[in-house]
Amino acid sequence: MSDFDPMRDSTHVRSYRSPSRRALLKAGVAAAATAPFLMRIDEAIAQGITPKRGGTLTSLLTPEPPVLMIGVNAQGPTLTAVSKIFQPLFTYTPTLDFEPVLAKSWTISDDKKVYTFHLQENVKFHDGQPMTADDVIFSAMKFWMTLSLRARIIFARIEKAEAPDPHTVVFTLKEPFAPFLYGFGGTGFMIVPKHLYDVADLRNNPNNAKPVGTGPFKFVEWQRGSFIRLRRNEEYWKPNQPYLDEIVYRIVPDSQSRALALQSGQVQLAGGNDIEPFDLPRFQAQPNLSVTLKGWEYYGPLAWIDINKRVKPLDDARVRRAMSMALDRNFILQKLWFGSGKVATGPLCETTKFYDASVKLPPFDLAAANKLLDEAGHKPDASGVRFTIRHLPLPYGEVWTRLSEYFRASMQKIGINVTMETTDAGSHSARMAKWDYETSINYIYQVGDANIGMEQYFTSENIKNVAFNNVGGYSNPRVDELLAKSRYAIDPVERQKLLSEFQRIAVDDMPYIYLLQMSFPTYYAKRLNNTVTTAMGIADDFDDVFLA
Amino acid sequence: MRSFIRRYPRMVIGASIILAVICLAIAAPILFPFSPWEMRGAPFEPPGSPGFILGSDALGRDIAAGLAHGTWVSLLIGGVSTLASLGIGISLGALAGYVGGRVDDAVMRFAEFFQTIPSFLLAILLVAIFRPSIFSIITAIALVSWPPVARVVRAEFLSLRKREFVQAAEVLGVSHFRIVWQTLLPNALPPVIVLGSLMVANAVLTESALSFLGLGDANWMSWGFLVGSGRSVIRIGWWISVLPGVAIVITVLGLNLLGEGLQTWLNPRLSKRDLP
Amino acid sequence: MSSNRLQAMPRLIGWRVLKMAAMVLAIVVVNFLLIHAAPGDPASAIAGQSGQADAEFMRQLREQFGLDKPLPLQLWIYIERVLTLDLGVSHRLQRPILTVIFERLPATLLLTGTAFLIALASGVALGVRAARKPGGIADTLIMGGSLFFYATPLFLVGIVLVLVFGVWLNWLPTFGMETVDMPLQGIARATDIARHAVLPVITLAVFYSAVYVRLTRASMVEVSSYPFIKTARAKGASETRIRWVHMLRNALLPVITLAGIQAGHLVGGSILVETVFAWPGIGSLAFEALLARDYDLLLGIFLCTSVVVLTFNLLTDLVYLAFDPRVQAL
Repeated sequence: MSDFDPMRDSTHVRSYRSPSRRALLKAGVAAAATAPFLMRIDEAIAQGITPKRGGTLTSLLTPEPPVLMIGVNAQGPTLTAVSKIFQPLFTYTPTLDFEPVLAKSWTISDDKKVYTFHLQENVKFHDGQPMTADDVIFSAMKFWMTLSLRARIIFARIEKAEAPDPHTVVFTLKEPFAPFLYGFGGTGFMIVPKHLYDVADLRNNPNNAKPVGTGPFKFVEWQRGSFIRLRRNEEYWKPNQPYLDEIVYRIVPDSQSRALALQSGQVQLAGGNDIEPFDLPRFQAQPNLSVTLKGWEYYGPLAWIDINKRVKPLDDARVRRAMSMALDRNFILQKLWFGSGKVATGPLCETTKFYDASVKLPPFDLAAANKLLDEAGHKPDASGVRFTIRHLPLPYGEVWTRLSEYFRASMQKIGINVTMETTDAGSHSARMAKWDYETSINYIYQVGDANIGMEQYFTSENIKNVAFNNVGGYSNPRVDELLAKSRYAIDPVERQKLLSEFQRIAVDDMPYIYLLQMSFPTYYAKRLNNTVTTAMGIADDFDDVFLA
Repeated sequence: MRSFIRRYPRMVIGASIILAVICLAIAAPILFPFSPWEMRGAPFEPPGSPGFILGSDALGRDIAAGLAHGTWVSLLIGGVSTLASLGIGISLGALAGYVGGRVDDAVMRFAEFFQTIPSFLLAILLVAIFRPSIFSIITAIALVSWPPVARVVRAEFLSLRKREFVQAAEVLGVSHFRIVWQTLLPNALPPVIVLGSLMVANAVLTESALSFLGLGDANWMSWGFLVGSGRSVIRIGWWISVLPGVAIVITVLGLNLLGEGLQTWLNPRLSKRDLP
Repeated sequence: MSSNRLQAMPRLIGWRVLKMAAMVLAIVVVNFLLIHAAPGDPASAIAGQSGQADAEFMRQLREQFGLDKPLPLQLWIYIERVLTLDLGVSHRLQRPILTVIFERLPATLLLTGTAFLIALASGVALGVRAARKPGGIADTLIMGGSLFFYATPLFLVGIVLVLVFGVWLNWLPTFGMETVDMPLQGIARATDIARHAVLPVITLAVFYSAVYVRLTRASMVEVSSYPFIKTARAKGASETRIRWVHMLRNALLPVITLAGIQAGHLVGGSILVETVFAWPGIGSLAFEALLARDYDLLLGIFLCTSVVVLTFNLLTDLVYLAFDPRVQAL
């Protein structure tokens, strides 16, 4: 995948960047070096790529969002559209460092308990009201606390939130919490206007029908089943930006029609679920289009096989390791996902903070897998079967069904019989929550930091009857200890040490069979510039996107 | 024998096709002594590639093996669901035709209800709600295809009841059960047999249509499953869906010919309206 | 038509309408039973789709749907809602189900209606032709063809047409109902839609045409032995006139009856055809709902298409009543 348009990165234009990185380096959170491909706007202009005003960007949304409001709905298509209307305090670079948006800069106290954000001063909501510290505090303590489970967990650590002046917000934590900043960035935390949202029923707020944010584009109209139209915010707080006049999201239910629209240039941008995986090779060969797999670093979806560790013989780590060794991850990547993504190497994605590249999965080796099962005492019977397990396929579409079929066929090669129990999405999560499964498939979002997206699947305090948790009953006191320590550790070197050990144990114990670091290709016309520049991919504000 | 062939050519052709299909089902484990789910090579190999006479699917499974092994599952689904719906249809039809009156009316309204509503949509609903499994598929097919049987059996019973030998049995005090079981049913059977062969054909078609929509049982390799697994990759590998489709056409054709042949042979009174 | 029959007509129609209402009610009850037979309640399905599953959220959902009330009360509420044309809301689309269905209905009516008329016309014409000389070459070819298409799964016809005319020859559009990104008006738009409709209509028509061919031929052969045909012939009527007027008028009746009954099948067929050709009608809506296991929407589609089919049945019944000399006024 080396031909994924390196040009895009070198033409990357981002102006407001330096304070945050300095602040973070000082704070010691971001140990990574400055991303080398970031370029100043004047450098870009020097290379002859002048941003051009005007034009309408036509894109796709699949499936049609149920509602255009952050917090109320967190599905991909919704985020893609609302991220142009609402903005976060900061966004993430592809290496998951922080890049300011509505916060100009921020500082962290030496005891890592006081976070002070300095806000942009000339920001107005689309209805003309100024955006102030009050809106930020309201968004955190009320809006997101009510609507987002993840935000609730992180913001519950806030002891007090104060606004010493209209452009400064101070959060004081009860105790240090290393990944605290990851609760704020990107689509997980955007600023909503307090004067429109300070009501009891946030989900059914009439303002949800006409979202009002600070973003570079204003909501204009939404013809259900047909299109969503956004128009340039003339009073946007960055001078002369955004460059585009309009963004139109077309709703085209049929995948082949979408592919045709992209191919013919009627649509200049497609991502997420818009294009079927098997069309990837075809579009990579298309001269007027670029394809990138970047822009999923923040979400970092990791696909794995979830195992109920209470069920014999799946309680035996040797059995789980043998199962992992019987799966050819390259086949899964190349033949099922047509090369979109990377094979997994452990519980973390490469882009997630504190990923340890030295941790490796045992290689694909059927003979070794068989030997390991023999050693574990599971001898095959006369018909070559060692034991039978039930499998709950992930009911999210065909590629997942096929993955389950691949799993079954691979298990058969090492004498494990797999019975499929097809369900729908509701029953799938209900059965996972009731621990009524033996193996299943799932993918989880890492959202930047090892202590945020992954933790709940590994700590024994999260063995609950709630889906998207440690429903498999994995319990290792050392893992609990490592994750708890790294959560509160202040020194990044110390955190890395703790999380590296966690990753090694997570591979040795193999509570989940890690399969794939997924990424969904973004397809765009070559004349569309700055399409994917951050870790948010196309769920970014697009204030620097322009049509050449 | 020769004159039989000449007189009932359709039946002979139909029977030969079905016989050949059954032979394929029996020979499958010998011809392809491995699981049809096994990935035996590169995916999307076109027909005629080395190792894949009929090509391979998205996971590198052998289409030919899937076709052969899928034969008996498809026949099983067709056969069992037909038996089940014959069971329902004969019982209700016999009840309506023998008891008559309000019972007859109620049964016929019930049958009419099932015949009028979009039955394929009902089958989809049933399989989707009760989870796709071989059991729910058979149940759904049986539930939507019994009304013609009930109609035919009822009509036969109504006309047979007026016949002298039945009335004589009643006068002699023979029990209702014996009259139905020993006198009426055997006489009503010929049209039911004809209908049965056509219903197997319909069940095979319905199963494949359900599978095409993704409602197949993932544990049983059937023709419908193959057809469904190729739906979204039709532009990359047309053979994955089309070849099992051809197998379905041949089998259904055979069953229809057999049914038509049986009809002329047994010459039962079977109204056109009741043909599926 | 005798005056006696004319007088009986309103009563007959009233009776049929009443029967239809009873059927609709029965379907509503079946729908309700299906919802409650589904493993897991709607609340857990929605919770699963939204990715949130905490107990509080589930409790709110259950309350919202009245799932905490006793079953008979729920049935009553459900019937009341359906009677006031409230089919509920699709939680996936967050829109009223009836609105969604009405948006998609015209496309399906266009597809099935056109296919039905073409199937009827071609089926009857070919059936009459085949019956002219039973056992002749034309008969053998027509009946062989109809037997073949009768045995072919609809989706297979569709797939082969897509491959041949869309992918290999590239003559006709194979997806959707119109060109999305060029807003066309008037004749240009109609032509565009017609081009998109060719393949799906043929796919759907071929199967039903096969059915009508067989039926027409059989009726024609049967009618040809009736005495009134001999009378007509003795009176010196031309063969063409006898075939197309005297015989066909009588032979058509069973075809009309069957057409009425098969309206329901046509809906089933349109699910497959619309799925293959991405025709934006009820069928593809049903398929989308099926993929997302949006049961409420599926049940709504089931109810609405049943009502359409019943209406169609009522119409064919009336046609039959009005024209069949053999039907007695009750």
